[in-house]
Parts: sequence; structure tokens; C-alpha cells
Amino acid sequence: MNEEALTWVIRTRDPRFDDWDAFTLWLEGDPARAGTYDALMAADADMDAILPPEPVVMPVAANDAGAPRRSMLRWAGGGAIAAALVAVVSVSMMNRTDMYSVTTRPGEIRTIALDDGTRIEMNGDTSLRLDRNNPRFAALDAGEAAFTVRHDSANPFRVTVGDAIFEDAGTVFNIVHAGRDTRIGVSEGKVVYNPDAEAIALPAGRGLADDAEGLRVMDVAPASVASWRSGRLVYANAPVAQMAQDMSRSLGIVVRATPQASAMHFTGTILLDRNPDNFFSGAAPLMGLTATRQSDGAWLLKEGDGPKS
Amino acid sequence: MATGLSAIFMANRPALLRFLRARGAGDDAEDLLQDMWMKLEAKDLGPVSDPLPYLYRMANNLMLDRYRSSTRRERREQDWAEGAGGVMADPSDDMAVDDRMILQQRLEEARAVLRDLGPRVELIFRRFRIEGVGQKLIADELGVSLTTVEKDLQKAYRAMLTLKQKMDTE
Repeated sequence: MNEEALTWVIRTRDPRFDDWDAFTLWLEGDPARAGTYDALMAADADMDAILPPEPVVMPVAANDAGAPRRSMLRWAGGGAIAAALVAVVSVSMMNRTDMYSVTTRPGEIRTIALDDGTRIEMNGDTSLRLDRNNPRFAALDAGEAAFTVRHDSANPFRVTVGDAIFEDAGTVFNIVHAGRDTRIGVSEGKVVYNPDAEAIALPAGRGLADDAEGLRVMDVAPASVASWRSGRLVYANAPVAQMAQDMSRSLGIVVRATPQASAMHFTGTILLDRNPDNFFSGAAPLMGLTATRQSDGAWLLKEGDGPKS
Repeated sequence: MATGLSAIFMANRPALLRFLRARGAGDDAEDLLQDMWMKLEAKDLGPVSDPLPYLYRMANNLMLDRYRSSTRRERREQDWAEGAGGVMADPSDDMAVDDRMILQQRLEEARAVLRDLGPRVELIFRRFRIEGVGQKLIADELGVSLTTVEKDLQKAYRAMLTLKQKMDTE
């Protein structure tokens, strides 16, 4: 494929293209170029036949039946992420970091106010590392937290989650980190995911998930972001496996789901209730599941409308 | 024709002629320019916000049409020569069930190719190629540089054109 001609195809296809003089000069450089360009433009038009008609906003990908896959982009970006981390670390070293950990027990909610005016609300079973000498940094090691960040473009607030970095741009956002999975939802402002690598901007109403299904961007209802703070869990086509994790964190109990139940999806709002019996008697039928208490005290979510224990 | 556009056409006639020649129109360049003039007169366009780029775009489209009809004619003649012959049916006419299945399968393949490029490349390509959004706007939307958008588009185009080529030779 002729790279130069392809460049011109892409340029001239832009609705705002106006550098026709430069295009003329390129064409005049070699009489064969016009034909190459024509052929590629025709190939471009032929592409219509195989373009998937989905809208641009990627749907909540949980219903994506495709085989699990890890995004190539993630690995491609790995070097840059590592480099970015090295940079962060070395800067912090110069400023002498003074790290400390904050953890919450399952079922416990805790609010942290940082010196810069940023507020972090921690859900249950969450651990966070903060730096006394740098109020613009947090590391979410496990669990879930909602960040209401005071924006300072000269000194953006950064949250690291595993090897990913989320950088705020004036923002309220919620991050869940469970096992190897990371999910973020943005309810106000904008967050940039891995600003030095993929640099995916997430404005309010967008979310990002990085789990066994790969790295995906999706729509989220801003009102549903960090809804646990008001005693609700709000879902749009969420897998039950994820909901079980959320319930465990918020209620301080162990919730498991059978493989069949884990793969099911739910859309709706569930009210949290400190009393697990009350909670499941309301929530389980809503999800089309049954919840039974196991001998070890954990709750098991099962498919179907079988008899309740 | 709006007087503004007419004046701009006349003022840029030599540049447009040069462009058509560079585009491979050869001796037909003058005639094509005349066609353009007639089309502009017949259409009675309202005010055009960017008249000169509009005229270039029109000239470029004329050349693309020419290329398309010449390759179509070649293909038809070839079909005749090979005895496949006859009138080519409009591909959008009643499609046989097998053809529909093949189309579905191809859409699936294309979907997979796009997905494997990663979410940002896929998003940028869809915005640009399916929704027709300009690169500058996409760059602003995503908070990335224009160069990044250009590179991602090239990556996506290469992958999709290669796929299309592969399908056509199957």
C-alpha cells in the first residue's frame, strides 16, 4: 500500500481539508500518483460494504459475546506507562515521599479530606496509599473510592491503579479495583487514562473498564457513578460477578455467585440494607437470582427462582 | 450561480485547471472545467462558506467519478470477454440468502479487525470514517494531538484496506 497516497486519501477525506495547493504539488511530483490516489479512494469507498454499522459510542461491552481478549494497545503502551511511572517515582523521591496507607473494613465507609481540598470517599474493604508531601497523588491498591478533585491544571491530581494512571481534569470520578480488574466512571469534569500512553479522555458520562474482556470505553449514567455513597447500587447491564464484589464491599459480607449467575447481567437500582436478610430478600428476586446463606457465613447467588432458604 | 462563487471560480480558473491536470485529466481538463461551470450555473447554490475549497472538492469528485466509471466499464468488458456476461445486477437488489450470510460474516471480520486495533484507534476511525467528523474535532474531543489522530487513522485504514483486499481475492 502506498503510504504517501494513503496519507492524502485521509487528508482529503477530512471535511475541513483545505490545503489543495499542497495536494496539487504532491500530484505534480509524479504523474503516476493521481492513479494511485484514485485507486485508494475507490478502495476507501468500497470499504462501506464491510463497515459495521454500530454507532460510535461503544456500547457497554459486557454483552460483547466475543472471545476474551487483551487489547494490543495496552501492551503497546506498556513501555510508555513504565517510563511514566519511573518519572513519577523519581520526582517523588526528590520531594521525599511520605507514604501512608488508609484502609477500610468491609462495610465501612470513610471520607478523607486532603490538604488541597480534594475529597476521597472510600467504600468498604478498600486500601489506598497517600503521600503526606504530595496531596495530588493517590494509589488505589484494592477496592473502590470516589474522588472529588479540586482541579489545578498546572498540577493535576493523579490516581495510580496497578500500572494504570488516571489524571483528573476537574472532576468527580469513581474507581473500582478488584483483583486484576479496574473500572472507572466519571460523573463530572474529565479524567485522562494513562496520559502518557493511550491518553484516553473520559468526560462526564463516560467510563472505562480494563478486565478479562480487554480495555473498553463505555457510557455511564453520571448519576450512577459512586451511587454507593447514597446507599444505592446503580447498574446498566452489569455482570452479576461485578455486583457480588460491590455487595461484599458495601455490606461487609462475603458474596459469591455460581458461574452461571456470574455471567448474567443486570440493569437497575438496588437499595443497600445493612441487614443481609432484608437486603437479599429484596435484591435477589430483582436480579432474577436466589441468595442462600452458606455454612461458612457467605452468601451464594444462584440462577433461577428456586426455593429460598 | 451566486456571484461570489462565480467570481472565485473565474479568479481561480488557472489554479483549478492546474489541479485537474495534476489529477490526471490531461487534455480533458478544459472540458471538465467547463462541466463544472455548467453544474454550478444549473445548481444555483446558496452562499458557500468556504468557496475555494468547495470548488476544489467538486473538481476532485469529478475525477473520482471518472475513475469509478472507467474501472466499472473495464470490469464489465472483462466480464463479457470471460463469458460471465450480461447486465450487471445492482448489488443492493434482492440479495440471496448465502450472500447475506457472507456479508454478515464479513462484517464480523471487519468488527474483529477494528477491535484488535484497540479502543482509541477504533473510536477515531469510526468517528472519522463512519460519522464523517473532522480530525481536528476528534483530536479536541479526545484530548490528543492531531498527529496522534492522523497516525491512528493510517493504522486503521491500512488494516481495513488490507482486509478488504483479502476478501476481494477470496
